Order: sequence, then C-alpha cells, then structure tokens
Amino acid sequence: MSPQPQAAVGAPLSRVDGRLKVTGQAEYAAELPHARTTSRGGTPTLKGVVHAVIVDASIGRGRITSIDTRAAERAAGVLRVIHHGNAPRLPYRDNSGSNNPAGRRLRVFQDNRVLFHGQPVAVVVGTTLEAAQHGASLVEVDYDAEQPSTDLTEAEPGEPTRYARGDAEAGLRSSAVRLDARYELARNHHNPMEPHATVAHWDGNQLTVWDKTQWVMGTHDEIAAVFDLPADAVRVVNPFVGGGFGSGLRCWPHTIVAALAARVTGRPVKLVLSRKQMYFGTGFRPAYRYRLRLGSDRRGRLKAAIHDIDAETSSYETFTEAVMGAGQMLYSMPHVRQAYRQVPLHVNTPIWMRGPGFASASFVIESAMDELAHELGVDPIELRLRNEPNEDESTNEPFSTRRLTECYRVGARDFGWDRRSPKPRSMRDGNWLIGLGMAAGVYDSGRYPGEARARLDADGTAVVEAATSDMGPGTYTSQTQVAADALGLTMRTVTFRLGDSRYPRTSPHGGSSTMASVGSAVVDACNKVREQAIKLAVEDRESPLYGVDANDVVVRGGRLHVQGNPARGETYQRLLARNNRSHLEGDGAYNGPGSDRSAYFAYNATFAEVAVDADLGLVRVRRMLGVYDAGRIISPKLAESQAFGGIVGGIGTALLEHTVTDHRDGRIVNAGLADYLVPVNADIRELKAVFLDGEDNAGNLLGVKGLGEVVQVGVAPAIANAVFNATGRRIRQLPITAEALL
Amino acid sequence: MSPNELDESAVPPSGDSRTTPTRRTFIATTTAVGGAVVAGGLIAGSPLLDTDEAVAADAAPASRVSLTVNGTRRTVTVDNRTSLLDLLREHFGLTGSKRGCNAGACGACTVLVDGHRVNSCLTLAVRLEGAEVTTIEGLSDGDRLHPLQQAFIDEDAFQCGYCTPGQIMSGVGCIKEGHTGSPEEIREWMSGNICRCGCYVKIVRAVEQTAGRK
Repeated sequence: MSPQPQAAVGAPLSRVDGRLKVTGQAEYAAELPHARTTSRGGTPTLKGVVHAVIVDASIGRGRITSIDTRAAERAAGVLRVIHHGNAPRLPYRDNSGSNNPAGRRLRVFQDNRVLFHGQPVAVVVGTTLEAAQHGASLVEVDYDAEQPSTDLTEAEPGEPTRYARGDAEAGLRSSAVRLDARYELARNHHNPMEPHATVAHWDGNQLTVWDKTQWVMGTHDEIAAVFDLPADAVRVVNPFVGGGFGSGLRCWPHTIVAALAARVTGRPVKLVLSRKQMYFGTGFRPAYRYRLRLGSDRRGRLKAAIHDIDAETSSYETFTEAVMGAGQMLYSMPHVRQAYRQVPLHVNTPIWMRGPGFASASFVIESAMDELAHELGVDPIELRLRNEPNEDESTNEPFSTRRLTECYRVGARDFGWDRRSPKPRSMRDGNWLIGLGMAAGVYDSGRYPGEARARLDADGTAVVEAATSDMGPGTYTSQTQVAADALGLTMRTVTFRLGDSRYPRTSPHGGSSTMASVGSAVVDACNKVREQAIKLAVEDRESPLYGVDANDVVVRGGRLHVQGNPARGETYQRLLARNNRSHLEGDGAYNGPGSDRSAYFAYNATFAEVAVDADLGLVRVRRMLGVYDAGRIISPKLAESQAFGGIVGGIGTALLEHTVTDHRDGRIVNAGLADYLVPVNADIRELKAVFLDGEDNAGNLLGVKGLGEVVQVGVAPAIANAVFNATGRRIRQLPITAEALL
Repeated sequence: MSPNELDESAVPPSGDSRTTPTRRTFIATTTAVGGAVVAGGLIAGSPLLDTDEAVAADAAPASRVSLTVNGTRRTVTVDNRTSLLDLLREHFGLTGSKRGCNAGACGACTVLVDGHRVNSCLTLAVRLEGAEVTTIEGLSDGDRLHPLQQAFIDEDAFQCGYCTPGQIMSGVGCIKEGHTGSPEEIREWMSGNICRCGCYVKIVRAVEQTAGRK
C-alpha cells in the first residue's frame, strides 16, 4: 500500500473536545447520570439516584468491635447503613491480568479487620447528599485498636528483588572516587482535580458503572471478579477523566462499595470520594529510602554502583514499580548491584504515579551524578557524556533510538548553560542566590496489545472506537489525528470514541503506552477500512480507479485517487453509494512489540534555574527547559502542554509535595489541598519544551516513544542540582523545603 | 454585602437558557411531587423519589430561596446545609461547576455571584436570596463562546478539563477586577485555582490575551 499522506498527524491542532471542556459540558464520572442522552455512548438519564458516603476507620490497625447505626438510620433521608455486620458476602474471585499487586486485595465490609487508617468500615446511603453526609457522621464505631506500623525507617522490610552485573563491591573498592549518599523521598499523592467517583446502577443482574478510571476494562474485569458476574453483565463507562496521573490505574474499594450499595438498596447510587478520602481511598507514589554508592575513576568514568532501595507498600499487597530500571541502563558501567525491598506498613496500597519508579530513582542517580561532577571538577553534562553507553548494558540489546547526547547539546545551547558558574554561591540577584542545574531523564514506555474498530459510513464520515481513556493528554484529539490520516479523511469527519467497556479492549491508559499501543490498533483498523474501499474501487468497472493497482491508490480529504495523479479518483461517498454499501468496517489490533528486541526508552535533558533566598531558604524556580527524545510527536500543541504538566508535577515533587503520617495512629495529617501543597499558578514562571525531530519505529506503527511519563522524570533532580549550584547545599531529601536549607 | 439587600428586579432576564430548565419546567417538577412544597424543593434534582422518602427528608431544616442562575429566575426550597455548588450540581443538574476539594482550596467550583468570583463549595445556597449567579454554562452567548473560553481552546490552557470551568470563571473575574497588568499579577490573582495538569503558563496567556482585547 502507498503510504498515506500525513495531514493531521504532526499538525498543531486544538483539542477536538475543547468546546465541551470550556463550556462545562464534558461529563465526568459523577455527572453522567444527569446527562441528557449523549452523542457518545447514548447513556440515558438515570432516575432516582441516591447518594452514598463512606465512613472511614478512625484507627490505623485493629478490629471493629461494634457498629451503632441507630442514630444514622433515624436521621432524615438516610436509607441504609451497610457494614461488615450486614453486608452480603462477596465472591472476590481472583482477577489475573489485573493491576492488583501480589497479595490479598482489600475486601470491603467482609470482616471486622482494620488494615489502615481510613479504610472503609461502613457506607451510608441517603436520598440527598446532605442526608448521607450527616448520616455518616452519626455512625458510631468501636474498635479494638492495635499499634499500626507506618514508619518506613522502623519497619521490617520484605525479601528484596535483586539485580547484579559484574562485582559491584570489588568495583567500588577499586574506584578512585567514591560517593556514599542516602536519600529520602516523601510520599506523593496524585491529587487529580476530579475526585474519584462512581455511579452504580443495577438493572436486574446487569450492572452499569460510571467510574473514574484510566482503564474501563480493568474496572470492568475487577467488578465482574468481585461480584462473580459474567463479563457481559458489567458495563463500565467513563468518557472524561478529570486527571489521573496513575490514580485510576486500578479499581479501588469505593467502586465496589458503590456497586454493593446499589445492589443492597435497589437504587442507582452515586459515591464521590471527599478530597480527604482520596489520600487513603486511592493509591500514592510510595516514600523511599534509597542509599546509593557510586564509584568512578578520576576522569569520571563510572565503575560501580550499589543501590539499596526501600519503599512503602501495604500490609496486604506488595506494590512494585520500575525503580531499578534507570540504575541498570542510563549510564555505562561494568559493576552494578541493586536490592529493592518493599516494606509492608499499615497503610493502603500504593499505585504508579507519573514516571513511576524512574522519577524516584532519577532523583537519586542524577543528584549523585551532579555531586560526582562537582567532586571531580567536571561539567555535569561532560560527566554524563563520558558515561554514555552504546547499548542497554543490562540486556545487551541495542537502543531502538537514543538521542540523549543531542538532548544535552540542544538544551545547553537553548538554556544558556555556558552562563552557569560551576562554583556554588557565585551567582546572585540581590538577596537571591541563583543556581543552574540539569539532569537526564529516561522512561521505559509501554507497548501493550489492544484493539480498535473503525467504521466508514456512506456519508463519508467515520467513527473509531477503543476502550481507552483520555485523562488529559488528549487521546480524543491525537487518536482522531491518527485515524484521519489512515482513513484519508479530515479531522472534522472522524469521531473517536473511548471510555466504554463495550468498545474494543485495550490495555490501561498509563505508562506512556496509549499512542504506541492503541494508536497502532487504530491505524490497523483504519488501514483495513481504507484497503477495503480501495479494493472496491479498483474492482468496480464504474469507478475511475477501475483496474488501477491498489498499491497506487491513496486517499486524501475523503477522496481516493491515484498516487501522483489527483485528477483520477472519486470520493468515498460516491464509491459507497454506487455499490449500495451503507458502511465499511474494520477491526484492528496491536499485538505488542513482538519480536522487537531493541531497548525502547524515551529520554530528556531537563534544565532548571532557581533563586534561593539567602536568608530564608525559599526556593523559586525561575525557568525550566525540557528537551525530549520521544520519537514522533503526533500532536505538537498537546505535547507541549503535556511536557509543561510534567515539569509542573516535578516542581511539586521537588519543592512542595509531602504526605505526612502521624505514626501514633497512622492518620495522614495533611489530607487536603490546603495542607498537601501542590504547585499553583504563582509557583510557575517560564517553561519551555523542545522535541527532537524524528521517529522510532521499534515495534509500533507510529514511530512514537511515549511522552506522559518521561516529561516528569529528571525534573526534581534538575531543581535539586540548581539549588546546590545556588547555595552549595546538597539536599538529599524531597521535597526540598526552606527548613532543609536553613 | 448582604444578599437581602439585592433588588430582585435588578436581575436582568437572559436570552439563553438552553442548558438550564426554564421556570416553567421547574414549576412542573415541583408540582409533580404532589404539593409537598418543601420536599419538592429539596429534591428538585431527583423528581422521582418515593413520597415516603420525601416526607422523611422533610424533617431536615430547609429554606426557600429565590436566585437567578444564568439569567433564569429560580425559586427553590433547599436543605439549609446545601452549598451553592451542590445546589447547582445535584439539584439543577448544572455540573459544569466542579467539586475538587469542597473546602475552598482548589477553585474548581468558582462561579460568579453578583459579578464577583466565589468558591461555590463554601457558599450556602440559602444565603443567596436575590443573588445573580453565573456559571460556566451561562458564559457563552448562545453558540458564540466567551472570548476567554475561546482563548483557552486556542492556547490549549487545559488538559483534563476538570478545573477549566473554575479557571475560566475565575479568569473572567480576574479580568473584570483589573488584575491583569502583568503576567506576574495574573499569576498571583489566578493562584486560587489549582490545575493539577500544570497548564498555568497557558492559562496566564489566555487571560492576558483576553484582557488585552478588552
């Protein structure tokens, strides 16, 4: 087949769903049942929706000894109080293939055990939100409390996951320059602006759930497993996700609570987590304690690294993430040893958060590289260039593409790196100490199997469907771009639908995998439709394309024509009308990278300029630049937004975000947006994103390498390194607070 | 400012009410629950509740309030505990105003009350007698977007879109207040609206451009 002209892909288009979002018409999970019949999915308005509010455990560990629901049940508007004493037993079938970590998942209202502070212990259903909220405040729960263990530094770690190459101990001993540093990374919460919410509606044994999720199929499968329902008895709908950053990558207990409450009351139930409940009702980026020992020769050639990594997990599930990845492949060195231990605590289970694993490890590794550069008196970029590997040394696979050195070069030029004085505390602006810092970023983007369906209608418009999500990167827009080009249609004549478990199955919307995975399936589906149309035309005696080699036909603007001869051709509309075809349809699939054995990573070089108040230790980020080697950029306007978002998220991790737990009872003391600080507008000044031109065709049809994660990796260490350059203070903890700098 | 001092006759009727129930449909809804005025008002957004539930809910303290939402005058009896946000979302089905934190810390619920931006999650509905409320649903002129809405699209000043209605309402207020003299000033006066997707740079651009066109 002739390659299709690329008109939409690569164009800086505005979002196709922009109008819905700026007029308040985009329907998020808690809003769907109010919707009039919508154009996407045809969801009917639900009647008689009642409200559910969860009662949270007020101890960090122990047993419920009694629940007194009398006052709540007497309250006006309260319909039902459900708890372990009266809830139906739920099957909780195993759900292999889910994102549930190893262990035994939390089973709502199935026993009297309390495993963490805030665990759901009851739910109050009321006719109004106010009635349910008040009712929840009236439920009296007595506990037999035990001392929870919530301190990562005190608790007993589990068995480590290990990696080794060479002899790291010997390599370190024989290194001329050695570094031994311990890092503390605070727990971060995703805090998407939209709270997690579920509306559940049973129609006989058919359950429909409107749920905030990054994976409608994952939520679908989990609900089917928990209630032991056949797959076709459950439908999960979620056309708009108000941010996720990973928090929607698995089905959380409240979704089951909502479905259970709807079952018990026989009413459609709406359950919206409070902001506070988001801190224990959904996951988080785990806190880390990370010791890194690094050895190099006097020229800065790395010889050995030993990584001892401890991370939070819950007492009932063992959460893991790719925190070992960067240490194995980012720099060339013969000797590496890693031990990654999960520390079970009486907390809820973590979940992946933007740049999972890599973002945390990069803070450590990139801070250490900066420290080493300073020790050696070598420029930080030069040190990295001296340790650039020729292959992935953990697998001996070649890199599909790796243009990190180009990122350094472009970034150094654009940022004015040559204006940086390597001597700390040597640049000033009044009372502000000025510092410049940089770091490398890397992310192992996902490529997972998925499916899509495309239908071209006789009127020349097309609908493409896949059960993926759009938590903000712009899936609606970028998949429409991809589909439009593959079909040879304009953006206006293609509608992309997502967020419904009745659409073709996809993998989770996360891990920077959506474009490579779902996009490849979309291209495949659209190619099949286009090829059918071309075949129809070249075999149709009435067509101007009759007899033409199908490989010589392209489609542009809804018109099929001979490649290089636009005059000879006809429109989809004419072709289908003449052949009495109401539509053409194609099922597409992507099977994953398959036999591709190359090391597929996205990279960045991130630069930061900070100002630190010399007396107060306040840190202000003055400007930041990210240069990205992320393969082909499908949607440049949206990609820039995504990059800025990653930088802003990284600024939060670097300077503000810190979940604080009271170890006496396991309570999170800053569970709210007034106390858990995230960047606000006044925190963000000048940002710039540069994308290296190019593509990477390793195992995907689109040449992409994923973007959503890598843009946050490297941001925190670039800031930490700039703070060192400004102050001479090496802060090895996140967030970097004024207190740490005083 | 006391809402009681507001002159109801000062509330102008508006042309566009496509997205809101008209006064007529609202009255029809209250009638449908059978003369139980208080309960009918309480459950204005859920007209099909059983009568016995409506009677039970009747026990909650409720008040009658008349206010204008996006140009449409509405008289409703609500539970005194109901916030303006929940009145809009749960009773009027105007879900464009978002619940982000329910504690006035994020700004997702920002609406204009008598032309001033407020956190609707912190505003009790029954305090709004005579008030004129403008939500994101009432900002555009029919199909013609408000210039700030268009600027948000053009600048790509949002990603997930959840904070966007609050950002835009806050931006409208910010421009009206004249706090747009410089990007620094806009940043400061738009800092009550959190965007977790991190679109601040573009939000400032959208506000700055729209203010410049005025």
